[in-house]
Amino acid sequence: MSFVDESVLEKAINKMLSEGASYAEARYHEIRETGILLINGAVMGVEQSVRSGIALRAIVSGGLGFASTTSTSTEAVEKAALRAVAAAKTSAAGVKNPVRMSPARLGRAKYSVAEKEPLEDIAIGDKIASLLEEYKALVPERNGFRVPNITMIYSDSVEYKVLVTSDGAYVESRVPRVAAMYNLAAVYGAKRANRFGELGASGGYERLKEFRLSEKIQDDINSLYISLVEAKSPPRGKLDVVLSPEIVGLMVHESAGHPSEADRVLGREAAQAGMSFRATYKEETIGSPAVTVVDDPTIPGSFGFYLYDDEGVAARERVLYDKGKLAELLHNRETAAIYGTESNGAARAMDYLSEPIVRMANTYMKPGDYSFDELIEDIKHGIYIKKYMEWNIDDIRWGQRYVGLEAYVIENGELGEPVTNVALEVTTKELYSSIDAVGKDLVFYAGICGKGEPPQGVPVWMGGPHVRLRGVTIR
Amino acid sequence: MSIDLHAVAESIANKVKNRVDEYIVKLGVENKLMIKYARGEPSVTQSWQTLRLSLYLAKAGRISVSSFSAEKPDEILRKVLDSLELLKPSPFYAPLPEPSGENTEYVDKTIKTIVEEGDATRQVEEIGFSEPGDVAGKIEFWHLKEVLLGSNGADLRHEATSFNGYIRVFEGESSGQWSWTSTSYNPLIARKAIERAEELARQCAKLPKRRIEPGKYRVLLSPMVAGNLVEHIAMAASAGSMIFGTSFFQGRKPGEKVLSEKLTLLDKPRDNTLPGFRGFDDEGVATTNKAIIRKGVLETILHNTKTAKLMKAKTTGNAGWIMPAPFNLEVEPGDATLDELISELRNGIYITNNWYTRFQNHVEGVFSTVSRDAVIVYENSEPKYCTERIRIADTMPRLFSSIELIEKEHWPIQWWEVNIPTRISHILFAEANISLPQ
Repeated sequence: MSFVDESVLEKAINKMLSEGASYAEARYHEIRETGILLINGAVMGVEQSVRSGIALRAIVSGGLGFASTTSTSTEAVEKAALRAVAAAKTSAAGVKNPVRMSPARLGRAKYSVAEKEPLEDIAIGDKIASLLEEYKALVPERNGFRVPNITMIYSDSVEYKVLVTSDGAYVESRVPRVAAMYNLAAVYGAKRANRFGELGASGGYERLKEFRLSEKIQDDINSLYISLVEAKSPPRGKLDVVLSPEIVGLMVHESAGHPSEADRVLGREAAQAGMSFRATYKEETIGSPAVTVVDDPTIPGSFGFYLYDDEGVAARERVLYDKGKLAELLHNRETAAIYGTESNGAARAMDYLSEPIVRMANTYMKPGDYSFDELIEDIKHGIYIKKYMEWNIDDIRWGQRYVGLEAYVIENGELGEPVTNVALEVTTKELYSSIDAVGKDLVFYAGICGKGEPPQGVPVWMGGPHVRLRGVTIR
Repeated sequence: MSIDLHAVAESIANKVKNRVDEYIVKLGVENKLMIKYARGEPSVTQSWQTLRLSLYLAKAGRISVSSFSAEKPDEILRKVLDSLELLKPSPFYAPLPEPSGENTEYVDKTIKTIVEEGDATRQVEEIGFSEPGDVAGKIEFWHLKEVLLGSNGADLRHEATSFNGYIRVFEGESSGQWSWTSTSYNPLIARKAIERAEELARQCAKLPKRRIEPGKYRVLLSPMVAGNLVEHIAMAASAGSMIFGTSFFQGRKPGEKVLSEKLTLLDKPRDNTLPGFRGFDDEGVATTNKAIIRKGVLETILHNTKTAKLMKAKTTGNAGWIMPAPFNLEVEPGDATLDELISELRNGIYITNNWYTRFQNHVEGVFSTVSRDAVIVYENSEPKYCTERIRIADTMPRLFSSIELIEKEHWPIQWWEVNIPTRISHILFAEANISLPQ
């Protein structure tokens, strides 16, 4: 497969090298997207987009420059190459620590994700019909409770890339993805609440059926019902808590994945997405031996799937927290060079307008061997938090807060009455150190992770099993 | 990028006009140069020259919106036109309005030259971004040229420039961050932001560090923090947020008192000193300066013609083809100096920067946001110590009903957490709920 005249990329590389670049990189990047917006079962509109262009990077005298162009003509691309070099020289004028690229296992490869039902073969009318069927299956009202706003968004995309670097990488890839998002705004008397959900995977149109979208939305409608109609205020204070995979996935993304991004540790994102506690943390241990967190771009069907990163480095599983100890950082070639190591393939760029920076792909906690019943059986008085409605975390990824939408009291080893507005506000060390048991299940959730300047959103999975926390503060 | 935008837009209009009832072609060239800093040195310089085509099509009540960066959009156009035939009529549909917009232009030649040549070496030196030492942030120069052609007769042009950025200054374990935005190049505006960030970092570096207890506090919010929060207020006043069920003004009507009478929040698309300046919206309707909130009263729900039809209102010239949005925001200044605000703060917390504002309940406005950089705790109006990474965990209506004083100085703010160019002051609040990990 070939989506662009590759000689244009070679010409750009040669132009940058001839203008003094010690490293040059050219990436053709095309994303074709379709989106359908449904509000309360009515098709509001359809959005289609094609973002395509060429992204170039050059290192000149230790300064890093990036340029992009929407035009793929030789003339435009060579002009962009000159801009990349000029940008690199602007950087070089103030650089104290020259940028270098680490050694890496650079790929010369082509790969694509198979689609059982190719996205481009499905007419938009069929996609709309499927979405309407999913909507019709919902039951949004009962006992005075109703969901007057149900917004559903279907989107699919096909991402094509061709990457060439001056030191030998050549990678062509094609990754189709399907995603569905929804927002539910519920009312019961004077009480209101809302819930946002997102599903995503790589693959063809068959993925939409695998989402079981209406079941997921109905389950969230039921959670809103429980929260607004049945739930009481939670007990507060130091309690044993069981977290669901949904919350564990978010937690490992926010407080294991992000702080393990080497560019954050080094301060490259200091004024934007922030830094990392790992820059100053002196201890080896961050959690209990039950905790192992990894990031793996190579999981088939995952939303964050890739086999080679956007610097041409082969992807592999990275162990971030290993049995409670801090382990690998996520690296691109720039950060790996500073650490004197090899890149582990974490460079990702959102599109042709974006430089590749250190990103997660699919971050999850490794399962243990507890069943859910075993996790709760010896809790005398605690809480099970099943779904969240709000979270945030500070800019060094230390202090974090998760607020439960649907939660249950645990009394003498059994689930009791529902509670809501359960706020868990802890530090990263408290959180991971309090985990004494990890479930044997594993569930992934999709998201778009934001970072960079200009901000880049890339698809990721985050997941994990149920886990048990001992003696954490609930508010 | 040299291109006759009007001619290209016309050729696209000619390709679609016989197959649809209505169309709008929006075509723009955006040139941008950004120097990004980390650890006191440039980490990367980025240069963009981007052609963007956006297309609104309607036929028999069916709506399609599309955007392309492709040079040769014919194949994609065909696909979009074919797709339009397969859609269902949208309850969102409303006929395009009469085009009342005006051409607008505010171009700073220095900025235009910088983005065309990709060289800002002299300006970077003039700004002295890295002079405070350990700094991170960005300097951005931006030039946009755009045409909008529509089947409603719209034939409009807009050209504008922007100079914006932000800086985080580190002083030991302390830091301060500030931003600036403008339509023209003025190194002094950047210098002022740099000095403010440096001042905050140094002030905290000199003060002891101490944790605070969770609870209710008087808070002084910097323009960075207040700017982030009023953006959420402005978006809650978008009819789109109300239709999507994500507005804490849901069910409220213009004329109802919703927030403190001390708050007047304006949308100012006709202010050519802020980069969101423009004379027409995406439907070709004239933009106007307007109050979203005037003295605490909800005055304007932001509309395009589609949301206006659904909510039985009139467009306010804030299209977005789908989502109405403000262009530039301004909070009317008060009459107090920053010193007077600090004096009135008495025992309270000065929060200078924040991020990660998240709603646990959009419709009730229940949110929390995390502080970053300098958080200075005052006792008897004297700075006593700095604390860090606390949360405001409150509701928007409650917090913004407790405004006591607004500073008279205005700061033009735009950064990662304040997307819409915003001119705003320090704001003193009587009470905010503060939480943090035990």
